[in-house]
Amino acid sequence: MSAQLSLTRESLPDELHQLLTSPDGPAFEHALDSLVRQREQKLFRALGVLARDLHDAVSRLGGDLVQEGYPDNVIDARQHLEDVLEMSSQAAHRTIDFAERMRPEAASLASDAQAMLAAADTSVAAPARALAQQASDFAEHCTAGLNDMVMAQSWQDLSGQRIKKVVAFIGSVESAMIELVRLTGALSGRETVEAVEKINSQDEADRLLSEFGF
Amino acid sequence: MPRGVQVETGLNKNMKILVVDDFSTMRRIVRNLLVELGFAGNLIQEADDGEAAIAMLKAQPFDMVVTDWNMPNMTGIDLLRAIRAEPALKTMPVLMVTAENNRDQIIAAAQAGVNGYIVKPFTAATLEEKLTKIFERLAAAGAAA
Repeated sequence: MSAQLSLTRESLPDELHQLLTSPDGPAFEHALDSLVRQREQKLFRALGVLARDLHDAVSRLGGDLVQEGYPDNVIDARQHLEDVLEMSSQAAHRTIDFAERMRPEAASLASDAQAMLAAADTSVAAPARALAQQASDFAEHCTAGLNDMVMAQSWQDLSGQRIKKVVAFIGSVESAMIELVRLTGALSGRETVEAVEKINSQDEADRLLSEFGF
Repeated sequence: MPRGVQVETGLNKNMKILVVDDFSTMRRIVRNLLVELGFAGNLIQEADDGEAAIAMLKAQPFDMVVTDWNMPNMTGIDLLRAIRAEPALKTMPVLMVTAENNRDQIIAAAQAGVNGYIVKPFTAATLEEKLTKIFERLAAAGAAA
C-alpha cells in the first residue's frame, strides 16, 4: 500500500495523481495503464543494458583470443609437445642402438678372455693372464651396465604417456575455445546493441509488451 | 655370463613372443630384456596396438603375449578380453606390462584372465620372476589336468 502511494506521488504527473484519486472510471484506467507502461519500460531498459553488457563481454573475449594469436598458439603448443615426444623417442632409440652395438663386442671380449684363461698355457705370461681376467671382468660389468642403460630408457615411455595426456587435454580446450569463438561471431552478427537501444521509444516498448500479451 | 641364465630351468627359450606397445622405445626395451633372459630374438615380434596384435595372433601361432595397457584403437585390456574370447587363443599366456597401477584396473585385468601384471617402471629381475612364475603355474595346471 505504502509503496503504491509513494510511486504515484514521485513518478506520476500531478494530474495523473488527481485522476487516480478521482471517481472518474475511464480516466482512472488510463492513469493505471500509463503507470504500468512506465514500469515495464524501466524493466526493458534494464534488460537492454544487461544484454548489451553481456554482448560486449563476449565480443571482448573473442577479440582477445584473436589478438593473442588463437588458435595458432594452441596448435603450436600441441605441436611443440609432439616434437618433444618425437625427440625423446629418437634420443632413447639412439641410446638403445649404442647398447645393442656394444653388447656383442663385450660378449666377444669376455669369450676371448675366458678362452685365453682356459688354455692355462704356460706360454701365456702371468701379466697377460691377469689382463685377460681384467678384460673378462670388465666385459661382464659392461654387459650389465648396457642392460641397465637400455632399461633406463623406459623414462621415454613413461614421460611420453604423460605428454600424450596433455596433448589430448589441449585438444579438448581447443575445441571449447573454437566453439566460444564461433558463438562470439554469431552474437556480434546480430547487432544486439542497436535493437536494445530502440526500446527507449514508447512505440518500441509497446510493441515488445504486445508480444507478451499486454 | 648374462644375468638371465638362471631362469633356463622350466622355460622354453624358443618361444614365439608378441610384444605389444604403442611406444617403439618400450617394445625395444622389452625385446632387449627378453633376449637378455635368453629368449631367441628372431622369434620375438611386435605390434603397436591391440588391433594389430589380435590380427597377428589370428594369422600365426604365438606362445606368449606381452602387452601394454594404454594404446590407441584397442587397449591392452580389450586385447586380453579378445584373446580370451577367441577359442583358438583363449589359453594364450598374457603378461601385462603397464604404467597403470590403479587398483581397479589391476582387478579388471585379473578378472579378464591375465597371467601376470608388471607395473612400469620395472626391472629385468621383475620380468624374469613374473615369466618364471607364469610358466611354473601353467606347468602345474597342465600336470594337474
